[in-house]
Amino acid sequence: MSFILEARNLKKSFDGVVALSDASFTLNQGEICGLVGANGSGKTTFARIISGLIKPDAGQLYLYGSQINLKSHLEAEKLAISMVHQNLSLVPEMTVWENINLGREIITPLGILKKEEALIRAEAAIQELKVNISLYDKVSQLAPSDQQLLEIVKALSRNPKILILDEPTASLGFKQVEILFEKLIQLKKDQVSVIFISHRIWEITRICDRLVAFRNGKTVGEVDFQQQPREERIIIPLITGKKENEDEKGIHEKRPYRNFDTRQVILEVDSLSKRDKLHNISFKIREGEVIGLGGLNGQGQEEILFILSGYLRKTSGKIKINNQEIIIKNPSQAIERGIFLVPGDRQKEGLFLNHNVFTNLVYPQVAQKKQKFILPLKELRQTVNTTIQKISLVPPDPRKLVSHLSGGNQQKVVIGKWLSLSPRILLLNDPTKGVDIETRKNLYKIIADLSNQGVSVLLYASDNEELIANCDRVLIVFEGQIVEEICGDRICEENLIASSLRVQ
Amino acid sequence: MKNRLNWKNIYQNPSFPSFLILIAIIILNASLQHNFFTYRTFKSNLLTFTPLILTSIAQGLVILVGCVDLSLGATVSLITVLMASLMGDSLLSIFIVVLLGSGLAILMSFVNGFLISYFGPPPLLTTYATSVLWFGIALFFMPTPGGYIPKSFSKMYRSDLFPNFPVVLLFLIGAFFILFFISRTRFYKHIYAVGGNEDAAYANGVNVFLTKIKVFLLSGVFIALASICVVAQTATGDARCGLSFSLNSVAASIIGGLSFSGGKGSIIGPIMGGLILGLLINVLYFANITSFYQEFMKGIIIIFSLAIGAIPKYLKTRSL
Ligand SMILES: Nc1ncnc2c1ncn2[C@@H]1O[C@H](COP(=O)(O)OP(=O)(O)OP(=O)(O)O)[C@@H](O)[C@H]1O
Ligand SMILES: [Mg+2]
Repeated sequence: MSFILEARNLKKSFDGVVALSDASFTLNQGEICGLVGANGSGKTTFARIISGLIKPDAGQLYLYGSQINLKSHLEAEKLAISMVHQNLSLVPEMTVWENINLGREIITPLGILKKEEALIRAEAAIQELKVNISLYDKVSQLAPSDQQLLEIVKALSRNPKILILDEPTASLGFKQVEILFEKLIQLKKDQVSVIFISHRIWEITRICDRLVAFRNGKTVGEVDFQQQPREERIIIPLITGKKENEDEKGIHEKRPYRNFDTRQVILEVDSLSKRDKLHNISFKIREGEVIGLGGLNGQGQEEILFILSGYLRKTSGKIKINNQEIIIKNPSQAIERGIFLVPGDRQKEGLFLNHNVFTNLVYPQVAQKKQKFILPLKELRQTVNTTIQKISLVPPDPRKLVSHLSGGNQQKVVIGKWLSLSPRILLLNDPTKGVDIETRKNLYKIIADLSNQGVSVLLYASDNEELIANCDRVLIVFEGQIVEEICGDRICEENLIASSLRVQ
Repeated sequence: MKNRLNWKNIYQNPSFPSFLILIAIIILNASLQHNFFTYRTFKSNLLTFTPLILTSIAQGLVILVGCVDLSLGATVSLITVLMASLMGDSLLSIFIVVLLGSGLAILMSFVNGFLISYFGPPPLLTTYATSVLWFGIALFFMPTPGGYIPKSFSKMYRSDLFPNFPVVLLFLIGAFFILFFISRTRFYKHIYAVGGNEDAAYANGVNVFLTKIKVFLLSGVFIALASICVVAQTATGDARCGLSFSLNSVAASIIGGLSFSGGKGSIIGPIMGGLILGLLINVLYFANITSFYQEFMKGIIIIFSLAIGAIPKYLKTRSL
């Protein structure tokens, strides 16, 4: 038996909630094995067991051929297991170099930190992935995608033999994904074994040698790409548990062309600028139109959304709604005008992690001025339950603490918060980050429904397929400017990539 | 690589506002008190400020790791009671009792740290509970201020080691030395990691439990130093003498730019915060403000300093 890692019948529950009921998994040396499954199917829980962060309730774990009881995370680290965490394991107020060295600082016999060596190590580590950040930046100042890259860099710098990547690509743009994949292939050559968790099926089919699927905490299947074709239709039924049928296929089906020329202009942005970030951004959104913001990561797309939703102030430019100039100074003014933002960083902007699902879902309603002084709790419960169904939350329990939900389910709560309100303009900042394929489909349907009801949508997505599936028009943003507009049938993967990279 | 220090970083440093306030208050004090820059004033200021500075450091460390110690003042009181009850005239007895008191201070701080990191109750409540406990014990042994502290001990504390170098300065130099050493260790990084994001620290293999315990032990060392100063200064044991330190040290830490949630700011901050609070009382005295207004003004100025402390955060959101 040559498995470098084998897990048999792992079980784990958290205060009565079963996260893993029967998970088995094998990993060969020098292979990249995908781990897929819907939100809440236990992938992260499994990864945390392998890296010694939590202990399983039952089951066996074999590493390098012998059975082992991981007592702590340190022990896993000694066995050269290292993990990229879904919720990132960075300390926001510390610098990049401090974070890379955290927990394994080199010291003199007196306990003094050897800073020079720490810096050298950190520099070498970020060079590995060609990340363009300063060693002295605080993590809290980095863009989400840079934080994600740093998290990967940190795991790599520990020279793992087994590397677990828990949704490493969720907040990365396609170019960064390419760099990561190059690195993974190189690691594979060096006989490193990789567990790769992702909800983007194309990433799995592209990079993995094999995949294992979890459903409701159980291992439900395995696909070996040496024997089976690298195709979505084999993988998706494993994840959803539904028999494959026709409409199941086209998750990323292109939206049919719609003409909006006769519709009323709802939002007009006129030469909007923000110092160093945005330059003369102008565009119009008509009633019911879905507009995408494309381009490489961090070119200013998020800033546009933040300005429109009142989180950031513009330096100059005009924003008009229904042909009337408006001033948005803070989020509550934006909300009053029917502009809602579904934020991208769920941990920071979108959620009260220590509150339960109910509170999180009703909060936007409660915060509105027109709400009665005494809250109609019964009604609210009703709406919350419908919302939970719409977003297919797992488990569908409004009393569950949000911090105890799986990553994708947390993101569903972020989206669900705004569904029960009636937005006029919906701003979506990478809404399906880490959301599984079925919910993603539901969300696309929700967007389509809203658009049919006349709601205008501005969507930023790091995943091009998402833009293709939803948008009537895509604006390509490059270095804070809109450099191109792609309409209707021209919205396709090749065009989007070419325009983002500015190759013509 | 970008260079380390640019202006943006300096004014965004959480300790920067307190530095400005400190300069301002020194200027104010000097203009009100004509002999401010004389050795005599320097020394008497030092004698008054040192306990507050030392307790602020003790509190600052605990705040950095994401906790708070409300029992710090009661600890100081209890140690003064202990020392004033046991100390005799001989040098040996002084030495032993000082050692005993210090040991007890460290032990009491350890108890806090252990309760908090082992059982996990909120530090605020835990240390409030222990503070009531310590205070009760101190009252039991010494219901009214008293006890005996040999004159030689107080005198030694107030004397000069050599011309223009007061003994009390040794305490501060010692404190600086410890902090300087600590700030270069791995342990110091772990304090920020645990205070900044406990889960992340844990996931990186930092021993969260041990880090907190060590911080409380270290804090105990500074509480011990502060207690020695207080006892030598007042020459009595008093179950109430330390109580004001608990919250003043928290105020000093926050004025110094630490974040109450931990992991943010520099340990220099509480030192400056302590100095600011100390000088503040001087200024109010020399400005001939009656004692009723003194408390009032003190409150106003603390609020003002806290507001200024929020400036870096404000600038940051503006330049987001
Ligand atoms: N600390 C916890 N306390 C309570 N329940 C938990 C905890 N951690 C996880 N769970 C539950 O365990 C289940 C599995 O969660 P897990 O995070 O492993 O899912 P996942 O497959 O990683 O999902 P995602 O794709 O959304 O990241 C979920 O139902 C979740 O609510
Ligand atoms: Mg997960």
